[in-house]
Amino acid sequence: MFSAVSIMTDGDYDYLIKLLALGDSGVGKTTFLYRYTDNKFNPKFITTVGIDFREKRVVYTASGPNGTTGKTFKVHLQLWDTAGQERFRSLTTAFFRDAMGFLLMFDLTSQQSFLNVRNWMSQLQANAYCENPDIVLVGNKADLTDQREVQEKQAKELADKYGIPYFETSAATGSEVDKAVITLLDLVMKRMEQCVDKPPAEPANGGGATKLEDASPDQKKCAC
Amino acid sequence: MPQPADMVNVAFLTDSERELIMEVLRRDEELRRAEEQRVRRLKVELVDIKRKGAKRSSGRYSENSCGRCLQPLGRLSGTSQCKACKHPVCHNCRAERSKGSWVCSVCAKEADLKKCTGAWFYDQRVNRFSTAPGHDMVKTSLKKWAPSRKRETAGEVLLRSTELNPSQSTTPVPRPRLRDLPTSNKDLPDRVSEEPVHVKDQQQRSDTESAERTSLNSLRTDTESSLGTPVFPSKKSSGRSSPASSSMSSMNVPVKAESVHSSTSDGIHSSTSDGIHSSTSDGIHSSTSDGIQSAISGTTSSLSRRAPSPSTGFSSLEEDGLFKRSVRRSPKPSEFTSVLDLRGEVALTPDTCMGDRSKSVPGLNVPDDEEEDEDIDNLVSIHRKEVCSSMSNLRGSKSTLGSMMSIYSEAGDYDSVAVSGDVLFSVRYEDTVQSLDVLIKECHSLAHGDATRQRSNPYVKCYLLPDKSRMGKKKTSVKRNTVNPTYNETLKFSVSRSQVLTRCLQISVWHHDRLGRNAFLGEVEVPLGIRDLDAGQEECMVLVGKAHPMQSSAFSQYKGELVISLKYVSAKKPPVEKTKGRSLSLGKKTKTEEGGELHVLIKEAKNLTAMKAGGTSDSFVKGYLLPSKAKSTKRKTPVVKKTLNPHYDHTFVYKDLTPAQLREMYLELTVWDREAMSTNDFLGGVRLSTGAASLNVGNEEVEVDSTGDEVSLWQKMMQYPDSWAEGTLSLRSSMGKNKSK
Repeated sequence: MFSAVSIMTDGDYDYLIKLLALGDSGVGKTTFLYRYTDNKFNPKFITTVGIDFREKRVVYTASGPNGTTGKTFKVHLQLWDTAGQERFRSLTTAFFRDAMGFLLMFDLTSQQSFLNVRNWMSQLQANAYCENPDIVLVGNKADLTDQREVQEKQAKELADKYGIPYFETSAATGSEVDKAVITLLDLVMKRMEQCVDKPPAEPANGGGATKLEDASPDQKKCAC
Repeated sequence: MPQPADMVNVAFLTDSERELIMEVLRRDEELRRAEEQRVRRLKVELVDIKRKGAKRSSGRYSENSCGRCLQPLGRLSGTSQCKACKHPVCHNCRAERSKGSWVCSVCAKEADLKKCTGAWFYDQRVNRFSTAPGHDMVKTSLKKWAPSRKRETAGEVLLRSTELNPSQSTTPVPRPRLRDLPTSNKDLPDRVSEEPVHVKDQQQRSDTESAERTSLNSLRTDTESSLGTPVFPSKKSSGRSSPASSSMSSMNVPVKAESVHSSTSDGIHSSTSDGIHSSTSDGIHSSTSDGIQSAISGTTSSLSRRAPSPSTGFSSLEEDGLFKRSVRRSPKPSEFTSVLDLRGEVALTPDTCMGDRSKSVPGLNVPDDEEEDEDIDNLVSIHRKEVCSSMSNLRGSKSTLGSMMSIYSEAGDYDSVAVSGDVLFSVRYEDTVQSLDVLIKECHSLAHGDATRQRSNPYVKCYLLPDKSRMGKKKTSVKRNTVNPTYNETLKFSVSRSQVLTRCLQISVWHHDRLGRNAFLGEVEVPLGIRDLDAGQEECMVLVGKAHPMQSSAFSQYKGELVISLKYVSAKKPPVEKTKGRSLSLGKKTKTEEGGELHVLIKEAKNLTAMKAGGTSDSFVKGYLLPSKAKSTKRKTPVVKKTLNPHYDHTFVYKDLTPAQLREMYLELTVWDREAMSTNDFLGGVRLSTGAASLNVGNEEVEVDSTGDEVSLWQKMMQYPDSWAEGTLSLRSSMGKNKSK
């Protein structure tokens, strides 16, 4: 009856990109995303029950054909927040397959959360939409320098091993939070371009004219 | 098809957890629906581009014509073949790709769409997850369902599977008995004050009036819902004219269905309640049949709301859109124009508008900074109000009412105005944004807040009890000089659905006085746990004065338990009579150390009420040994965070007490949720004493209302000094007690 206040109207975006944050319980996934979407910090620890998501509309500037700045796109980000707790594991991993990119987070003040990054990586490899999805490694709580247990070098090495970017963020101060997400978004957008530019044999199954024949009932196949 | 998401087992979740997750999934569904429509629109564009100026196998075309626009190609066209589709294409029908390469406009558009619709992602995912054995066989049948299946998300599957299971529906069924109460009074008040008519006449009249109002209301909601989506004006006409009207109409339904629904239930209400109270059969008949009729249409439309299956609706829509499109448009691939009639459909479906859902995380709502005079009174009176409401139902005696009034007179102008009139409002939970929307429509026949000048500047204030914090307060605007204000303002409470069920909506009407104190004009309390929060139906409730016994009964509730141990450590020397004179100087360190000590071990609390998002509380226990106004009897435990079953294991020690003194005292232990930025929330309390007797304390007589367990534990402590008396006490939902002078 009451329509929701709609700042973002339907279809007023070019891409819906779904990202997902994962990592041990308490590393700050929720606060990280809250900082990113609302630019606020909530120091309270509130356990995420299973899953949640937040949204944000951003403008993405694609690099043009010759390295120039190309078109700008409105990107609607759906940022999935997952429970780190073990008991929700079966639920949260089911959502891995729906995400296009991942923020793998650990707590810089907790060695254990860093050690678990490996496990999370294998979880991702098993459950994501492909075996090598786009991931950004995020060490959170960088502001707590006196409690730090994971050194930048260690984390960087691990990230390099996986061939993924690494950021040290702080949801409390907001440092590097945007950068981490934007980097991931950039990776996803690049992969998207690649996927489309190098079509995996599918569009080759006929010319435009032939395709048009059975366009109506079946055209999703070729249209998408 | 064995998809991973199908195997998600939600059995391990608790009900409240499941509810929370369902909320998330519902939000996701909204987003997904909006996305589906966007994708649908984009695909129509592609079909359109493809259709025009494309070669068909049936036709005979020159090899030297452009595969897109069919214009003859120049002689230099040898290399002008689209990389992707191998069609010769003229310059105008090309789209630049990276590194100077190009493809024809259709292939470019295709590629764009693959990106925009996320198809690139789903294509990849299909490769991965369709490797299950036997998938080849299924694949053929899959083809037809490809759009819905391929894009299926875990959330979707989970949502569907949970919704299919009826046992999990936690939506409360509204109880008719409680609903009758407000509605029966519905149409009386404005009449009452305007002209004193016989009751029967009134009722007769109210029949027609209610009918009138019902239709008015439905009208209003209609316009409102269309106002709610102002982005696309004038859409219905275009929608009707489209050949896609069959699918269109089903898309139109949601909005209509809802407004019909609300007016329907209204109709039924007034008819039933009138049927009970009045003997005129005339009005009943008309309104009843009316109500039923609209009820039927309501159900059918709500049924059809569920009906549109994604796939069928999809293809027909697409084809219709295809044929309807003009051929003249230039096939610029980058042009993201949308088909008009589809647009209309989008606008009509409220689900598709994407509110700023990112704000909806419970507990993170932004505090409103505004402040006002009456607030201080409020903060003071919070505790007291609760006192009264529970008192009256604990005892049910009429004498409490009088004493309550005296309490209120301290806190504000609560009793200066004779409450009259009613408030028309509706309550609805909006899952998409996780907010409870309280629509305050209007009030009728309010009392005069300023009695001398016979005028009122009324505004409406709402709380979701028990949250009476400043952040939890929502207000309408002030309407000047009227006793029949119309607001039509929606107050939004950011709160999770599971929390809502435990809350009680308090709607109070106040006279805004710029110079003096704001005067209380009346209030209603609406327990939300027993309401249908989805129907959003209007309700008219008679305003009542503060702490009306009828209203309060709904508000006392189970608050959990407190486990404590008491021990009276007797003094070395037997207590001497002479300390009796000092009974009031308790707590202050006196030279006489003859008295014993009272040790109060606060062990733990169980099943406290959750006050913070995430279903926890940061609680502590506060203790007072009374009667003593001295601050020094106040004791506090440390705060135990993020649990509803906190272990405090903290001991309060009260020194210098004789058994005789103790007999005349009582111990108040209250549990509070710590709020860093605002007032702490009361979670419950206990009051221990020798019994429910009035104690003479100085010149004040205080009635202490300790009940069974509280008394027996206190007595046990008195009876066996130097040994622990442990007990588990139920927490009171308020610490009300009677003060009589």
